[in-house]
Formats: sequence, structure tokens, C-alpha cells
Amino acid sequence: MTTARGKTIFLWTLVMISVVVLSAPTLVVLGASFTAGNMITFPPQGLSLKWYASIAQATDLREAFLRSLYVALICTLVAIPVGTLAGIALAKYAVRFEKALQIYLLLPFTIPLIGSGIGLMLIFGNAGILGQLWPVGIACCVINLPFMIWAVTASAGSLDPDLELAAANCGAPPLQTFLLVTLPAVTPGVITGSLLMFILALNEFLVSLLLVDARIVTLPVQIYNSIRSIITPDLAAISVVFIGCAALAITILDRLVGLDVFLKSK
Amino acid sequence: MAVAETGLDRLAVEGPVGSTAVSVRNVNMVFGDYRAVDDASFDLQEGKFLTILGPSGSGKTTLLRMIAGFQAPTSGEIAINGIPVGHVPPNKRSIGMVFQKLALFPHMTAAQNVAFPLKMRRFDARTIPARVAKYLDLVKLGGFANRRIHELSGGQQQRIAIARALVFEPDLLLLDEPLAALDRKLREEMQLEFRRIQRELGVTTINVTHDQREALVVSDEIIVMDKGRIQQNAKPSATYRQPSNSFVAGFIGVTNFLSGSVTDVTDSEVAFIAGTQPLCGRWVATDVRPSAGQSVKGAVRAEQIRVAATPDRLDDLQTTVAGSVMDVIFEGERVVYEVRLASLQDATIRVFDHDPSQHAEFEAGARVFVGWNARDVLVFAE
Ligand SMILES: Nc1ncnc2c1ncn2[C@@H]1O[C@H](COP(=O)(O)OP(=O)(O)OP(=O)(O)O)[C@@H](O)[C@H]1O
Ligand SMILES: [Mg+2]
Repeated sequence: MTTARGKTIFLWTLVMISVVVLSAPTLVVLGASFTAGNMITFPPQGLSLKWYASIAQATDLREAFLRSLYVALICTLVAIPVGTLAGIALAKYAVRFEKALQIYLLLPFTIPLIGSGIGLMLIFGNAGILGQLWPVGIACCVINLPFMIWAVTASAGSLDPDLELAAANCGAPPLQTFLLVTLPAVTPGVITGSLLMFILALNEFLVSLLLVDARIVTLPVQIYNSIRSIITPDLAAISVVFIGCAALAITILDRLVGLDVFLKSK
Repeated sequence: MAVAETGLDRLAVEGPVGSTAVSVRNVNMVFGDYRAVDDASFDLQEGKFLTILGPSGSGKTTLLRMIAGFQAPTSGEIAINGIPVGHVPPNKRSIGMVFQKLALFPHMTAAQNVAFPLKMRRFDARTIPARVAKYLDLVKLGGFANRRIHELSGGQQQRIAIARALVFEPDLLLLDEPLAALDRKLREEMQLEFRRIQRELGVTTINVTHDQREALVVSDEIIVMDKGRIQQNAKPSATYRQPSNSFVAGFIGVTNFLSGSVTDVTDSEVAFIAGTQPLCGRWVATDVRPSAGQSVKGAVRAEQIRVAATPDRLDDLQTTVAGSVMDVIFEGERVVYEVRLASLQDATIRVFDHDPSQHAEFEAGARVFVGWNARDVLVFAE
């Protein structure tokens, strides 16, 4: 009894510490964005929405934000079919180059982004598509695709293998089985993966930095350019908008598939 | 009770001999160097209920999967309604299957699950709702059409799986231990339910189980498998009363084996000596005759043995042996005694006593006598 109690207290302490540590930067930036002063400080000096008004006025920030959304959209649209098929194949079949694929799946953790960024810059330069926005979306997709594949593989791996046999037994030919049974069953994984891809592409900085020029900067690059001169509270405000986007994504996820699907060991 | 009922009905159903619905010919399935199904052959008449019974790993599921078309046999031929199906993919076979873990589609409602085979098999869209409703009623789930699968209880999911397998009126119904996960009461209910539905629709059925009671209660025919081989293919009563070998005798019911060597062979009886105890029994195999000195074992079921405090109470039995009670197991409707027999090299046998009120109820350590008739001892080669 006492040991169980001690364990509970210990666990809760850990959880509380994690929550504080994880949310501290968010809370600080959230507070700083509402400051009435001209300096980015925490706690804020007075309360006002003037920095939100200022970012709404700033066309360069707004355009950069729209460009980032566009990049994230391209990235997600490409990732959905590619990642879904690859994820299902990896989970279900003895894929021929499994070893090579696993190494690829580890790439985001092993290769510094600057490396992949330079590589892509050279490739896109040779292809003559540097300076356009859509290749940035493709680049984000290439770099982050393993996350998508993982999300789908996790879903497909927990699938009952008899499900597809049952569909065949019901008279479904292979294509119908895939479209009507396999795909819907991995949908939670596809949705998670897509939102992850979207958010990662929205936030992608290093690779964008290498691939964009002054005319097509994305939001993270725009923010970076600004902090090189002076750090003003409008950056805190734009960060809060970013956080809002992520929160929105999570809400959509919850509405579509229910967060409990992911919080349980699925 | 249930056994008696199905027994009567079986007589009524057995009219003219139907045509062969399933024919399995010399089918083998080899995984690497492991033979999961070894030269299996049987025929099943239309409308019959066949149960494949066997211990874990005996090849039951493998056999069923080959019939369903999920796996191709290494060699041999399977024909359904007289047509070889070797090159027919599973979705082109008219077979309904209830999987061990049900494999219901989790993203569909109960009704959508049942409608799925109809859509895939291109039934007229206007007739589908009525047909789905009919089959949901058949499994007594008419009011649950719009429930999601995870909103149904285990037994209800079971019945949706049955409805999905039956709704397109397949030529053949395959059941792969779909009841194994249920508690005993629900399982027995569902067994009778299967039997009711199967008889109502007259669909040829192959049922896989390792529950011998289920096999005896619901089947027209039982195939007993062990190590990939078919050991016996017979009616339930024959499987129980005339097991074709010692594996079947030991697998079904509670059977005591008494090992000994043959002393004398007459037309219908074999005399053998186990330890210092002379015994007598029936020789079962028809193809070979026992010879004197051969090692054999006599099989006698726990319910064919009676136990008493004195030998005179067992006067009517041909064999009586003295023993001592080792253990008493109270099972409600009966008492099981484990009795050690000194004259049979201390062999321990199990005896059922269904009516303890008539006899003395013995305690562990009590000196008792056990007895049986020679005709209840089946003798097999060792
Ligand atoms: N795909 C496979 N590859 C290799 N061996 C297999 C395969 N499928 C089945 N086996 C083996 O074949 C044997 C028979 O398996 P099967 O599933 O038919 O047994 P079963 O009689 O259905 O047993 P249970 O009652 O436990 O379900 C087992 O030893 C199993 O390990
Ligand atoms: Mg099995």
C-alpha cells in the first residue's frame, strides 16, 4: 500500500516538473506578447494588444506567414499519399530493402539539418527551381517524411491481419480491400502524421533559410531576419500566433479521431 | 438433454443423401520442413455440420485456411460443389467465415459490416437493406444496426460476425474457434445458436474447435486431428464409443489407460495382463490382429467404472480390482475419485460417481473396490 502511494506521489511530482519545464517558454512568450512597453520582457510591463495590432499591420510578416502556410500545405499534400503507402508497405510486407529503409527512417536524428539543406540546395539549384516556393514544401516533405511513415506504420502494425482476409472472404477484390478496409483502418495514423508534417513544415527554419531568397522568405526566416536587428515584442506576438496554429491543429485532431486514440498505446 | 435433442433431430434431418459440398483430397501443407497438414482427405455432404477437433497446433486452422483460399496447399486438391478451387482466389469463393478474433471492420457500424459482403458481391442495392435487417433479426440484433463494433458486447460482436458470414447465403460456412474467447455459459448458448441457425438455413458448415463437448453437442460429423493427420472421421456417438485409436480415445472424454501384454486372443476379446491383474477387452482395429505377448493398452472411460466399499456390490461387473482412494474431487453434479490400484503396478485411475447419495462417499485413503465390464475396455496396440 505505502509503496504504491509513494510511487503515485513520485510519478505526480515528475509529471508536474515536466509540465512546468515544458510549458515555461510558452507561458513566458505568451506573457511577453501582451506587454504595453517597447521591450520584450517578462513579466510584461502593463497589458495591451498593441503588438498584435502591429503584426496585423506588418505586411511583410503577414505575407511570410501565408508563404509558410503554403509551404506546409504542399509538404502535407505530398506526404499523405507517399507516407501512407510507404508506411503500410513497411508494416505489412517483408520489404526488400528493409535495412536501408530503417536507416532512412533514422535520418532526421542523425543527419544535421544543415547537411540535408545544403544537399537539397545543390539539387534544386541544378534543377533550376531555386527561388520558387513549392520546392521548399517538397524539401520539408523529404526531410520530415519519416515522421509520417512512423505514424502510419504504428497504425498499420496494430491492425488485425485477419481484417484483410475477412474482406477477401466477403468478396472484396484486392483494390477494394485496400481502399475500404486497410486505408480506413490506418486513418488515425494518416491524420496524426499529416498534422505533424504540417506543423513541422510550418516551423521549418534551417532548410527554408538555405532555399529561399529575399522575395520569398517564410515566417521563421522572417523572424530570424528581424531579431538580427532588434528584438521587439511583435516577435512574441507572432510566436503566440504560431502556438495558436499548433493548438488549432491539435483541436482538429481531437475532433477528427479523438486524442485518446493516441494517448492510449496505439 | 441437449445431446438427446440433437440426436433426434439428426435422425429427422437425415433424409436422402445430399451431394458432396466439400471434397478434400490428399491435401498437404508444408512450412519449411514442418508438415502442418499431412495427407488430409475427407468428403462433406451438403447441409452437414462438421467439426474439426484437435489439440493446439494439430493443423485445424491451416486446413480451414486452405479451404477458404487464404493459403494454397503444398499438394492435393480441394473441390467445392464438385469444382476444384485451386486457382480460385478467396474473394471468388462462396464461403462465409467467422474468424477466431472475429475480424469485424472497426470503422463500420454493425449494419455496414453485414452489408459489406452484399456490396462486394454486387447484390441489387435496393434489396440490401431488407436483407441486412433479416439477418440482424436472425441473430437477434435487430435493434443494434447502427451501433459501432466497439459499442457491442463480446457475444453481440460474435453474432454480427455470424450475420456477416451468412448474409450472402454462401455455399459453405467456416467457423474457426469463434467461441473460444467466450465464458462458458455464453459459449454453450452460442453453440446451440449456431446449431439453430445452421439448421434453419441448411448451410454446410465446418467448425473448428478444441472443445470436445462442443464437438459432441453440435456436429453431424467429427474429424479428430493430431499432428496434422486426420485420426478419425465419424459421427459424434461413434467417435465417443468407437474411437479408432488410442489418441482419439484419450482426447475425448476422461479415459484411463491400462498397459499390459496380450495373453490370449479369442474372436471378439483380447485377454491381457497388466501388472499382476488379468484383464479382458475388445480389440478395436479391424485390419490387424493382436498376437500373444504383444504390448497393448486397454482404455476404459471414467464413467464406465463403478466404485464400492465391498466387492459384492460390484457382482454384476466382470472385472473387480481392489484399490485405495488417493484424491476426491467434488465437481457438483458428480464426484471424481482418483484410485490407486496396487495390482496394476500402482496405476492411478479416475472414476466418476454421479450418484453419491446411493453409495458411501469415500474419503482420501479409503480402501475401495472398482469394477467394469470387459466390453467397456477397448484394447489398442501400444
Ligand atoms: N505461416 C506459417 N508458417 C510456419 N508454420 C506455420 C504457419 N502457420 C501454421 N504453422 C504451424 O503449423 C502448425 C499447425 O498450425 P494451426 O494454426 O493449423 O494449428 P491449430 O490446430 O489451428 O492450433 P490451435 O488450436 O492452437 O489454433 C503449428 O505447429 C504452426 O506453428
Ligand atoms: Mg487454430
